Amino acid sequence: MISLWDTTGDEVVKALSAERRSAGGVTSGLALTLVAVVDEKHVREAEAAATIAAAQHPCRMLMVVRSDVIRDNNRLDAEIVVGGRLGPCEAVVMRMYGRLALHAESVVMPLLAPDVPVVTWWHGEPPDIIAYDFLGVVADRRITDSAQAVSPVAALRQRAEDYAPGDTDLAWTRITPWRTLVAAAFDTLDARVTSARVTAPESDPTGALMMGWLKARLHITPEQVPGGEFKRMREVTLRCDNGDELSLTRDDSVATLHRNGQENRRLPLVRRPLGDELAEELRRLGADPVYAEALGASTGVPGLQERSAIRVHVWKDPAVAGGITVAGTGTANPVDQ
Amino acid sequence: MTNPLRDPQDRRLPRIPEPCALVIFGVTGDLARKKLIPAIYDLTNRGMLPSGFVVLGFARRDWGHDDFEAMAKTAAQEHARTPWREEVWGRLVGSMKFVPGAFDDDAAFDHLGRTLDELRDSHGIHGNAAFYLSIPPAAFPAVLKQLARTGMADNDKAGGWRRVVVEKPFGTDLGSARQLNDLVDDVFTGNDVFRIDHYLGKETVQNILALRFANQLFEPVWNSKYVDSVQITMAEDVGIGTRAAFYDATGTARDVLQNHLLQLLAMVAMEEPTSFDAAEIRAEKLKVLRAITLPQDVAQETVRGQYLAGWVSGERAAAYKDEEGVPPDSKTETYVAVKLGVQNRRWAGVPFYIRAGKRLPRRVTEIAVLFKKAPHLPFHPADVEMLGRNQLVVRVQPDEGVTLKFGSKVPGTAMEVRDITMDFQYGEAFTDTSPEAYERLILDVLIGDRTLFPDAAEVEQSWRVVDPLEAAWKGTTPETYRAGEWGPRAADEMLARDGRRWRRA
Repeated sequence: MISLWDTTGDEVVKALSAERRSAGGVTSGLALTLVAVVDEKHVREAEAAATIAAAQHPCRMLMVVRSDVIRDNNRLDAEIVVGGRLGPCEAVVMRMYGRLALHAESVVMPLLAPDVPVVTWWHGEPPDIIAYDFLGVVADRRITDSAQAVSPVAALRQRAEDYAPGDTDLAWTRITPWRTLVAAAFDTLDARVTSARVTAPESDPTGALMMGWLKARLHITPEQVPGGEFKRMREVTLRCDNGDELSLTRDDSVATLHRNGQENRRLPLVRRPLGDELAEELRRLGADPVYAEALGASTGVPGLQERSAIRVHVWKDPAVAGGITVAGTGTANPVDQ
Repeated sequence: MTNPLRDPQDRRLPRIPEPCALVIFGVTGDLARKKLIPAIYDLTNRGMLPSGFVVLGFARRDWGHDDFEAMAKTAAQEHARTPWREEVWGRLVGSMKFVPGAFDDDAAFDHLGRTLDELRDSHGIHGNAAFYLSIPPAAFPAVLKQLARTGMADNDKAGGWRRVVVEKPFGTDLGSARQLNDLVDDVFTGNDVFRIDHYLGKETVQNILALRFANQLFEPVWNSKYVDSVQITMAEDVGIGTRAAFYDATGTARDVLQNHLLQLLAMVAMEEPTSFDAAEIRAEKLKVLRAITLPQDVAQETVRGQYLAGWVSGERAAAYKDEEGVPPDSKTETYVAVKLGVQNRRWAGVPFYIRAGKRLPRRVTEIAVLFKKAPHLPFHPADVEMLGRNQLVVRVQPDEGVTLKFGSKVPGTAMEVRDITMDFQYGEAFTDTSPEAYERLILDVLIGDRTLFPDAAEVEQSWRVVDPLEAAWKGTTPETYRAGEWGPRAADEMLARDGRRWRRA
């Protein structure tokens, strides 16, 4: 491990290649570069998640921690870890202070592994508009987590407004086990579904996405019931035209599948650690059309899949009240005033 | 009606079998305890099993459901690869049943049939069931006849699918394999028979197909114009353990060459299938197996070996003849090396050297493709002394990965060239937590995907390769090698005669 204090981007690039050489045998495959945008207080959590994910997807991880944007003096601290506590990935954790934090890409761009896909992951409140963050513009895949926003459902709506193919949200990843159970129940169902009910708190983005998915796939409008004291999605009920009813109810890490005329069955529905969710995201480096469909149906924003996958960077200075927005010129970076 | 919730673009949703039962014969055996039950737990943990799923154990024990559950729980806790979660086990517990009985006991099989019928309603399994024969081959006929007699093997009568899973050995020669295939195919239909070769369940073996057919880089040189020879090695550091009776009657060639090694050869040498459909892949593999040519002079181009006492990984190892249960005059081989050819346009003239053995220095399975030397080297001969053949090595186990060996300049003022190895390893977890082969194969049986299972024709064709060798070896005494050596000296001499040498695996 090398730690660099008050350093420059150039030094970081040199230190990374030196560390790779001295670690020895680091000719292992590299599938992607993962750029993690994290707050200081979430660094450990993000590192733990990236370690799990990197075990399945060999990657270079660049963690960007921005703080004190309005501070006058700029400073870059970096820590380079190759094959150590972060598992098999080669990682650079960068802390950026002052105006430099707004130009993180100037440090990150030279560190991107040549010609492998870039995935940017915001572990924290997702950005309003991804185009404001150059680290999102340069990425082929963008992963947000609307559950971490102050108002998750509004954040999910914002994701739909701002959507471009290649975006996904971890709220969607979280319902994969649910969707698996619901879809599997359907494998043996021969009737058409006429109505559906999702029991989930109104502030739960996973419930909203579940409803969107059912709506898009089954062409019905599911009804939402607030779950009471249960803080997460509790139940999905489907009614068929032949009178059959099928429901999945979660308690802790078990789901009960109820179907009239059959015994109740208990199925494991385990909450996965963040690292496993991230690993699921990294399996796919293309757009997820099923997510786009569900997100569109959930929020009522049309035409998600027709949007361009390429974003153009928009310069926005958080230090200026309200933020002055100047259209950028694509890859070139406007001069910081 | 197709499921409206499934979409081919939705890659996140795993394939899940229809509700079904898995009936394990010989459920108290080693394989069931160490592999099958842990694999079922791991599949449940990963949410890969359907809501209606029942494990039915059958064995000659005076057990109730509870005893079976207790045994299964210990087995799963000891051997599962995914973390232990009580609630996951809790879901399995209600769906484990035990039927006691012997294989010649009509009443026990009637009881089994009734149990399956009851489960159809109580667990919604629609009459779907897979029968796993985790029993010695000698017991196959009795069990199959019972399944036929009770109508349990009949798809129509059951109202769902009925499949059977057979483990190696698939017979001991062509005749017995045919008999077995006829018997199994007679009771079940050919398409419902799944023969397990657990090597094909390994990620790296499946990756051979991806490496060859997804890339443009390797296929153009994958032929006799560029390839000098192919070496396939399957080395084990362990001895025969407690399997003396089985092993002494079988030998290495029948034990692993006939199945694992010839399957690996087929994967390396096969032509591109028209699609990744099971029937297409099997058709191509069968073509290669048919094209295999045997050595003209078996005495010169095959070597059998038997280990003597020695030291392996820091421990004293007894000689094969001193292992418990092995007759002192045993002529069974514990090592085999053969030179095979593949008679088609792609491989004419390229030798395939295949070796397998026990008590070798370390456990490794790999496939090495050795390329020809460049037709002309514009260097001074002294400068390229250290330059060997380019090699592409697929390591199947352990340290799953691919290495590529090529010449590179030695830093310095002189133009010297030496070999350098570029090493690609799958991610750490890919090796530690990638699905155990049995998990993948059990899931495929329940889904009905035949891609990774050799069919009867492949098994029979493989015996056509091994049978003539066995016939020629009859009555000969195997060479000896010290435990902890890379096989008998004669194996090295066999390659030396061709101007080649074994790669140190």
